[in-house]
Amino acid sequence: MTDVSLPPASAALQGLAFLELGERLRQRGQFAAAASVALAGLGHYPDVADAHDLLARIRTDQGHDAGAIAAWHAALECDPGHVGARKGLAFIAFRARDFTTAERQLELAAMQAPHDASVLAALDRVRSVQPVSAAEDEPRFTDPSGGLLLYDLQGMRLAGGIGESDDAALADAVAAEAAGLSREAARAARLLGLGRIRHLVLETADARVAVMPVAHDAALLLRRGAAIPIGRLLALAGRAAQAADDWLGRMR
Amino acid sequence: MRVLEPWVAAPLTEFLGESGARVALVMTSAGQVIAQHGFTRSLDVMSAAALGAGILATTDELAHILDARTGFGAVVHQGVRQGVWLAGFDTPRGRWIALVVFGPESSIGLVRLFFARFAEQIARAAPPLVPAREVLAEGFERELDQSLRALFGAS
Amino acid sequence: MNTSQWHDALRELTGVTGVLGALIVSADDGLVVAETAMDELATADVAALAAAVVSRAGRCTDAMRAGVPSSLHLAAEQGALLAMAGPPPLWLVAVARHDAELGRLRLLLRDFAGALR
Repeated sequence: MTDVSLPPASAALQGLAFLELGERLRQRGQFAAAASVALAGLGHYPDVADAHDLLARIRTDQGHDAGAIAAWHAALECDPGHVGARKGLAFIAFRARDFTTAERQLELAAMQAPHDASVLAALDRVRSVQPVSAAEDEPRFTDPSGGLLLYDLQGMRLAGGIGESDDAALADAVAAEAAGLSREAARAARLLGLGRIRHLVLETADARVAVMPVAHDAALLLRRGAAIPIGRLLALAGRAAQAADDWLGRMR
Repeated sequence: MRVLEPWVAAPLTEFLGESGARVALVMTSAGQVIAQHGFTRSLDVMSAAALGAGILATTDELAHILDARTGFGAVVHQGVRQGVWLAGFDTPRGRWIALVVFGPESSIGLVRLFFARFAEQIARAAPPLVPAREVLAEGFERELDQSLRALFGAS
Repeated sequence: MNTSQWHDALRELTGVTGVLGALIVSADDGLVVAETAMDELATADVAALAAAVVSRAGRCTDAMRAGVPSSLHLAAEQGALLAMAGPPPLWLVAVARHDAELGRLRLLLRDFAGALR
């Protein structure tokens, strides 16, 4: 539904007025209309970082993280010092519990805007939730919302959850499917003569997922946001696998 | 699973487990059933065996007409919810036929891969052929009953 | 990209140090669509098994509500299998030894998988 009190899109595209129009529509929750305005504006002004930033914020509101990340990266290509894009990427990473990326993006934003209270407050917030003992977002397999799931190869959940949600039924369903994936991957590696499986990494538009064997009859799945580098994802999964191995040993 | 030849059971069990196939029927090229898994009524088995042997015979003849000297490896019908794999393979007991039904949890590629292993295992596991006894009228019905019981259960 | 260009791309992938073969696979039926590989690599088996892993991965990410997999990297003691999604149902798959240039292979796979569209 379009708000008739707003100027028509064609008129707003005069100059950069579309930015204000798009933002107003976004704030009113008219995301589809806001996205149309932003995209139309980008058609005329593809090099304006603020236009990409507007589109990214709309995509975030629509729950389309991959689209938001792409738009913020486009904004940074236009303007590498764009604070809004850094804050946005930090927000997405924070929501995916990728605290290291969130902190790095906010530090880059703070370098551009050292007196921006919102950036400094966000930086404090990110640092406050990081584990004191480690700079990394160390996964904890006893925390259902930690994005780390431990399961046996029969598909039974042993501990943890898949992050963003502590829904036990959902975690159980993921454990069942992940066990099937672990078995399939192990069989493929064996039959292709590749030997014992070390890890499996999956990428989707919104997530990066590592699957790693633990002991001889269990495995773990670690989920993080799409922004996390694969090397760091594997390093985290490796540490989690070690901890899970110890935990399983004690439990048994 | 029901088998007429006990040594077929282990390779067939492995094939079913690895390929994820839902139904399997192993028969001679004349349509005599050797083993079956997943069929619920004997009528289905008999119809499937006859039709499967007929389809493969037809395909072999088509290969002959098309001058495909090595014949066709398999006949595959891929449906939306399930597919059918029909292939002949050589054993020490002569040429056998397998009819395999698979769902979306499997694929033509997986069935092909593990069917090749199954055929190899059958060729290795087959015991030496015992010379056929003369079938006497008084023993024929009893042997037929035994075979049917083995394949379809006591009735 | 036409089929001749597919084979050029596959040859380039197989030219990366340590790569045993590269193929375009139909993930729906686990069959090879195009391939370039060393003799010792059973590409039909690779297609079947890679498609099975891709299918399982899709079920897993679906259960996680994480969307559709766009890439998959299976690392094992003696080698690796990498797969990148092309236009459905095609996947670009490579098998490599453990000492292969996996980083470069990954980038090439991503570029070629995108160009398959």
